[in-house]
Amino acid sequence: MTRAQPSSPTEHPSALLLLHVGSMDARLIGLSIERHWTRSVRLVETLEEAQVVLIDCDRPGIEAALDQLAGHPRIGIVYYAFHPKDHALRFQPRPVLGKPLNLEALPATLNQARVDAAHMIAAAPPRPMAPALAVSSPVAYPRAPAPLGHSLMTDDERDLCGGMDDIPTTPGSSLPDKLFFNPDDYLIGRLQQALALASASGRPHLISGLPRLIGIEPRPVPVCITAFRENQLRPLAMTQLPESTGRIVSTPIIGEADSQPVHRAAEDFLWNAAAWAARGRLPAGSDPYQPVRLRAWPNFTYAFASPHAMRIAALWTRMHASPVEIATRLGIPHRYVFSVYSAASFAGLLDTTAKHENAPVAPFPPAPSDKPARGSVLSRILRKLRDAV
Amino acid sequence: MRSERTRHNKIIFSGTVGAGKSTAINALSDITTVSTEAVASDSTARLKPTTTVAMDYGVLNLPDGEKVMLYGTPGQERFSFMWDILSEGGIGLILLINNASPDPLQDLEGYLGAFRQFIASTAVTIGVTHMDSSPQPGLDAYRARLIALGLSPMPAIFRADARSRDDVATLVKALLYTLNPGLNDA
Ligand SMILES: Nc1nc2c(ncn2[C@@H]2O[C@H](COP(=O)(O)OP(=O)(O)OP(=O)(O)O)[C@@H](O)[C@H]2O)c(=O)[nH]1
Ligand SMILES: [Mg+2]
Repeated sequence: MTRAQPSSPTEHPSALLLLHVGSMDARLIGLSIERHWTRSVRLVETLEEAQVVLIDCDRPGIEAALDQLAGHPRIGIVYYAFHPKDHALRFQPRPVLGKPLNLEALPATLNQARVDAAHMIAAAPPRPMAPALAVSSPVAYPRAPAPLGHSLMTDDERDLCGGMDDIPTTPGSSLPDKLFFNPDDYLIGRLQQALALASASGRPHLISGLPRLIGIEPRPVPVCITAFRENQLRPLAMTQLPESTGRIVSTPIIGEADSQPVHRAAEDFLWNAAAWAARGRLPAGSDPYQPVRLRAWPNFTYAFASPHAMRIAALWTRMHASPVEIATRLGIPHRYVFSVYSAASFAGLLDTTAKHENAPVAPFPPAPSDKPARGSVLSRILRKLRDAV
Repeated sequence: MRSERTRHNKIIFSGTVGAGKSTAINALSDITTVSTEAVASDSTARLKPTTTVAMDYGVLNLPDGEKVMLYGTPGQERFSFMWDILSEGGIGLILLINNASPDPLQDLEGYLGAFRQFIASTAVTIGVTHMDSSPQPGLDAYRARLIALGLSPMPAIFRADARSRDDVATLVKALLYTLNPGLNDA
């Protein structure tokens, strides 16, 4: 493993033994030495050759490593640990670095430890920690607030997909009226109209007559500007608007009169307004048996995720299938897929160019990479994320 | 040696310098708080200008005692030789792209190329960060680039703030569902 390299005239490479480190750390450090530090560090295999050793405090068996070192007082020691402070007292004046190791600073630290070890033998009292120890560790950042409203919902409200029964899995029978909603009755219809007018004219458009501002700016990517708060938007989007409410008007600029309007990508905003209006229904005129696909995942860090919405997106971005097929493959009630369909169609994420894949409709088979053991790990990670968020 | 690396489940976080890899791992990891306390001293000031040149570690503790390691790759290309080693045996990749970089779409392409084999055998989810301060390019520009690159299936790509645990958790959830849409959590 040792690679003799021409050392610079002013310094000899420190002879480093990775006395007690994990195999992956050893490989990474080995490669770093090979690529970047041939002049400052060389790896050795035995304590007899070593000038400095590296010890991972978090690995079991550290006592044995320390015992080995007892007979070698001249060897410099650099420790590292998840919680360096927990070990600093015990090992002082030797340095205890934090994980992750800052590899940029490691060669200097190793060299310093080597020099310090020689000094400790020669003279007392021991020096404090070398100053060159750049310890890099995670720092806490304030959590950004979750989008308003999301975390306040109860399970019932979170669903927002109604309670409609499944429709027949094959076309032919007449479909109930209550399967469909007319977007023009809701905020989503107004938004769609405002977006169309803004895009066509290149000018901002407002929905007038609402208690607060909602407008669309067309460029460069359409943006919704609103002074409604998130928890006010949802009930507004779910309510049928009187026909006279919400005329679309062109305006030179949006928002000065209102305090603190927020800007959202129109795609996300329309996704939410449509999902909330739909409540498990389809926009009037859509065909639940026609194969379509999602041209992209919605922006789920803001876009409303009704139950199963992510699974639906994962499947529907990879295949053309009708809403009913998607529900069948995932083994879920149709209404959840209808919600995603409605949201996607207003967000501009639905690709309706026909291309039917003639795969038999069956419940979703496990992905090929999904070995049973791992599959259950994936579910458990998922559960953990759900419960903790 | 191999068993030690593959024994743990791990999720890889990679992406451009300053994209928020360390922050994201920190936001999600169960060992965050303690770990932060351990270093929250005068060294904090020195941390800021430093970029990570080794991997970041984080841990998700599953209820049954099993661990999921969260590994962040070094942001600096100089250390890109580590990427393969770090990702070996990983469940999938969370790729963070800093939208404030000079050419983030090129960065996206570069990272997808570097991780091509890993992604082909697992999955990737992309978070575009710093969009609050640098809104352009927008998500659709990224999607267009993904389509041009011929990625199939089209990976999930979200606006994300690495400081938000919800955003990071959403990225991981999308990764899991991409691996298997049949997973059921509801
Ligand atoms: N404003 C803003 N800041 C962010 C966002 N995401 C991350 N940050 C900040 O960006 C900075 C860099 O984040 P890091 O986590 O250090 O980035 P990194 O990817 O680990 O960087 P390297 O290790 O140097 O490659 C931190 O101050 C984060 O808080 C975001 O979406 N918006
Ligand atoms: Mg970092």
